[in-house]
Amino acid sequence: MGIWNKSLLAASFVAMMCGSALAQDKPFEGVQLKMLGIGDTSVTRLAKITSEFEEQTGAKVQIDMLPYPGLIDKIIIEASSDNPTYQLLWVDSPWVGMLGEAGALQDLTDYAKRDAAEIGLDDIIPVQLQENSWQGALLAFPASGMIWHVNYRQDLFDNADEKAAFKAKYSYDLAPPSTWQQFHDIAEFFTRKKGDKLAGKVLEQDFYGNAESYSRVQGAITHDYFPIMRGFGGDYWDPATGLCAMTGEPHVKAAEFMKSLVPFNPPDYLGLMWDIQSGYMERGETALSGYWSVRTVRLTNPEEAKLPSLGKAGFSGGPTVDGKPQPTYTGALSFAINAKVSDQEKEAAWAFIKWGTSEKIMRRLADEGWGISQFRKSILSDPALQEKYPYYKVLLDTQANARRRIFHPFYADVEENFGVELSKYMAGETATAQEALNNACTAVNSRLSMFPVEQRLRWINDAPVTVLQK
Amino acid sequence: MGYVNRRNRTIAGVFLLPTVAVLFLTTIYPMLYALYLSFRNYDLAKPFIPRIFVGLANFQEVLTSGPFMHSMWITFKLMAVTLTFQFVIGVGLALLVTQRLPGMAAIRTLLLIPMMISPVIVGLVWLFIYFPELGYLNYFIGLIGINPIPWITSTQWALTAIAIADIWQWTPFVMMGTAAALQSLSPEPYEAALIDGNSRIDVFLYVTLPQLKPVLISLLFLRAIDAFKIYDIIFVLTKGGPGDATETIALYIYRQSFTFWRMGVGAAASFVSLIIISVLITLFFKSMQKSAVAR
Amino acid sequence: MASVSLTNVVKAFGAFKVVHGVDLDITDGEFVVLLGPSGCGKTTTLRMVAGLEDVSGGEICIAGEVINDRPPKDRKIAMVFQNYALYPHMTVRQNMEFALKPQKLSKAEVDAKIAGVAGMLGLDALLQRKPAQLSGGQRQRVAMARAMVRTPEVFLFDEPLSNLDAKLRTQVRMEIAKLHKQLGTTVIYVTHDQVEAMTLADKIVIMKDGYIEQIGSPEEVFAHPKNLFVATFIGSPSMNLFRMTVERGDKGPVLSSAAFTIAAPVDKSGKLTPGQAVTLGIRPSDVRLARAGEPGAIEARVEVVEYLGVEALVDLRVGTQEFIAQIPAGERPAPDETVKVVFNQAGLHLFDSESGQAL
Ligand SMILES: Nc1ncnc2c1ncn2[C@@H]1O[C@H](COP(=O)(O)OP(=O)(O)OP(=O)(O)O)[C@@H](O)[C@H]1O
Ligand SMILES: [Mg+2]
Repeated sequence: MGIWNKSLLAASFVAMMCGSALAQDKPFEGVQLKMLGIGDTSVTRLAKITSEFEEQTGAKVQIDMLPYPGLIDKIIIEASSDNPTYQLLWVDSPWVGMLGEAGALQDLTDYAKRDAAEIGLDDIIPVQLQENSWQGALLAFPASGMIWHVNYRQDLFDNADEKAAFKAKYSYDLAPPSTWQQFHDIAEFFTRKKGDKLAGKVLEQDFYGNAESYSRVQGAITHDYFPIMRGFGGDYWDPATGLCAMTGEPHVKAAEFMKSLVPFNPPDYLGLMWDIQSGYMERGETALSGYWSVRTVRLTNPEEAKLPSLGKAGFSGGPTVDGKPQPTYTGALSFAINAKVSDQEKEAAWAFIKWGTSEKIMRRLADEGWGISQFRKSILSDPALQEKYPYYKVLLDTQANARRRIFHPFYADVEENFGVELSKYMAGETATAQEALNNACTAVNSRLSMFPVEQRLRWINDAPVTVLQK
Repeated sequence: MGYVNRRNRTIAGVFLLPTVAVLFLTTIYPMLYALYLSFRNYDLAKPFIPRIFVGLANFQEVLTSGPFMHSMWITFKLMAVTLTFQFVIGVGLALLVTQRLPGMAAIRTLLLIPMMISPVIVGLVWLFIYFPELGYLNYFIGLIGINPIPWITSTQWALTAIAIADIWQWTPFVMMGTAAALQSLSPEPYEAALIDGNSRIDVFLYVTLPQLKPVLISLLFLRAIDAFKIYDIIFVLTKGGPGDATETIALYIYRQSFTFWRMGVGAAASFVSLIIISVLITLFFKSMQKSAVAR
Repeated sequence: MASVSLTNVVKAFGAFKVVHGVDLDITDGEFVVLLGPSGCGKTTTLRMVAGLEDVSGGEICIAGEVINDRPPKDRKIAMVFQNYALYPHMTVRQNMEFALKPQKLSKAEVDAKIAGVAGMLGLDALLQRKPAQLSGGQRQRVAMARAMVRTPEVFLFDEPLSNLDAKLRTQVRMEIAKLHKQLGTTVIYVTHDQVEAMTLADKIVIMKDGYIEQIGSPEEVFAHPKNLFVATFIGSPSMNLFRMTVERGDKGPVLSSAAFTIAAPVDKSGKLTPGQAVTLGIRPSDVRLARAGEPGAIEARVEVVEYLGVEALVDLRVGTQEFIAQIPAGERPAPDETVKVVFNQAGLHLFDSESGQAL
């Protein structure tokens, strides 16, 4: 179908939806949409109210929710199939290059431009749209905007005894860490054994200064390592060759730093990932845990986590070496449309995306206790919501100085190789961080080096997303 | 060859036809397709990479790959440990449950349960047992004052933890096969030994064990092949981690094929391991047969 | 060598009693055969002696010592099983070595014993074979060799010949007899084959339903069966039986039936009262054709004639009564003929019809 036909069809749909609202107020009557999604905050709440979308549009939406590990495998198999089952795909922003280069995702630029006012395009933090682009094309639409940030036990940081003891030991005031050294000190300081005292109470079980992901499963460790590495001033690629560059000083320092935190982590640190890691913070069993803001909302909701009942969570941006802010990595959890489905299904899927990511729905969820990690300025800057979700301010501030996360077509290789190699290093199987990083980069480069340098450079080039160009 | 034999052959052929057809569709065709893939650069996730013929490059990569050799080593280590325990405990249990004691039939049925559970469920069951923070095992050893052990999240314990789960699941298989064999043994040689006054150990070593040998070899054969393919339990418990501590060949192949999407390399690794296991098993059973003839 | 005695030995499987108070004395070196129909408790009795079954009541003594609670290995017995019970994966030599293993003998002693037994049983050439490579008769000999090599004081055999064909059975039977003569060991031998029992036994124990019916030498049980069961069980073809009533005759009591009347045996006449119901037993070999004009002859009709070479079996009928005569083949009549037969006076057995006991 040519571009002419497509736009004609699109036009007729628009006409149908606006013009003939009386004749047919449910434009997608009979359409059945299926979404391959994650069973996490960006989807779970929405999944409960899809019937409202059906009432409005007639399209029935079924969301299959899977855990993060393995989800990308399902999506790739779905994308390589000629008979799509899913019209809607949940996408973590690092996957955009993989899926984009494979032609698996529908370009949403035209839809977004067409419906710019309706979706409040100006309201979306620009880097969040950039985050979902591949070679300038908008391939996914943010449903949740993320940064990697630090969660800490505000109640412990406010405790007078702990503050005094900290000051006595480290000669500076206990406060949310802005340098990695402070992060390390705080983690060390709060590591306590069963029977020790914490904030005046005798501990019934061990208390951990820190909880980071060290598991190799689905490269979980890289999801903490890469932001920390950024905080040390490193980056992924060599801009001259387009090859893996993560063997430099900041990269080694970041890996060594993570290893230095192991003694303050739970004994099963090598199994820490996703909800297992955040579980320590949610149960109030660790003082400090840096992770992506996808699950942060739970720390403010007593129905989802113990912490709000036994203490209080505090939030701050990721530390750096010297305390001066570095551009941090941003991330997006997004909805995309399978390129292989029919035009009608695409329109219906786009309608669902618009509805599910609308300011109205986002506000409503936030009002109901589900302040999803945001990509909308209007919500992040709302004082009432900032009061309710203190991490919104951290999100808003850091996104202003954020840069794109990895988006390479070989992301799976990066995630897996660094996942295994870093995990081995943390477990003590590989002697040095340098060796581990060399191994991982070599494995990645062994595949990349087969391609011409122009192609490699194109893959790391972050072309500005066209939807934002006037 | 006589007329009858020739005729029987034709009839046998007719009866075999459906089986051969099913076998072709479910086994031979996929194998041939995998063989075809193994000579190609085939990345399922990256259709923009030309899926060209690459000769033996995939095989070369596998055979020179450290991680592949590592997974081979892990696989054989795990196999040696699990099979040893499965056979020692399995034969022991078989001797126990074939005693004519009250309640043995019930005990025997109970002991078979692990074998009847799907390996994925077994993995989940053991996940609950091993779970670092809330697992039963750490809870119970905590009661006797032992600090929690990171069963599946430490490189020292993970392989042991998987071995225990696998032993738990497959010992009943050995037990059942052995018990069936034990019950088919004629009781009279045992009565003869009882009258002659041979010790229980002698009777076990010289009367029971040699008679069980054909069955034990068959069971060993089945278990060895299965152990070589071990996947589900590991996938659920550790996914090959921590580090690469529990990465067996099946995990390696899975990772090549479905994480890196390098179907060609995955296929080549499958064939290399198929050849290795076939050769080893053949050699092993040849030597077993030789020793059996030599006796 | 040792004597064996069973005193009021009882065996019950749960509530099911299968051996009811057996009393039996076996002297040193005696060859005793337990004979009886299938299921009568022979094997059970033997296994109690072996120690393979617990004794539910009574006492078993070997060489004067009560061995009820002794483990089998301490009873100085050896057993030969019906199915041979050889160790299938061991050679003939290894089978014997394994049987000797508990005795912890030196290699030389073991070799000497095996050589001795193998020589006696003609197994020298077979020592390196496994049971599967032997014929039935050879396996049987190996089973005996394995029992003999331990030089026990009592041999127990449980139907050792029942898996052999008729010819081989005769041959091995004779070998067993010869061996017993050579070794002089006490033997308890179970069979349901009366020929084996008659040829081998010094003493036959006839059992039925867990009870001993009669104990005696082969001659005794054949010539003087104590009751109807023994009378019919021993001897082939089995004894002819006639239901008769005692009547007063001219020269003393006579036995009469609808078919015929004969004089009662003189030695029994004192025990008979007129009107008494008795069973007359006469072995087929004691029925012969009457000479011309011989008094007391019974007229009978020939139904079937079975020619056996030297002898012939003739099925006869008088009225409704059928019986068999065993006569020289040359004298045999043709079917449907009418013949006259007489009973040998010495071969007449009388039993009380009610109790079945011999009179
Ligand atoms: N283990 C047992 N449990 C219950 N009943 C048994 C058992 N063994 C034997 N019997 C019963 O005891 C009775 C005697 O059995 P036994 O084997 O001694 O007979 P047998 O005289 O050796 O017969 P055969 O000539 O057929 O071998 C039989 O009725 C048999 O069913
Ligand atoms: Mg018997």
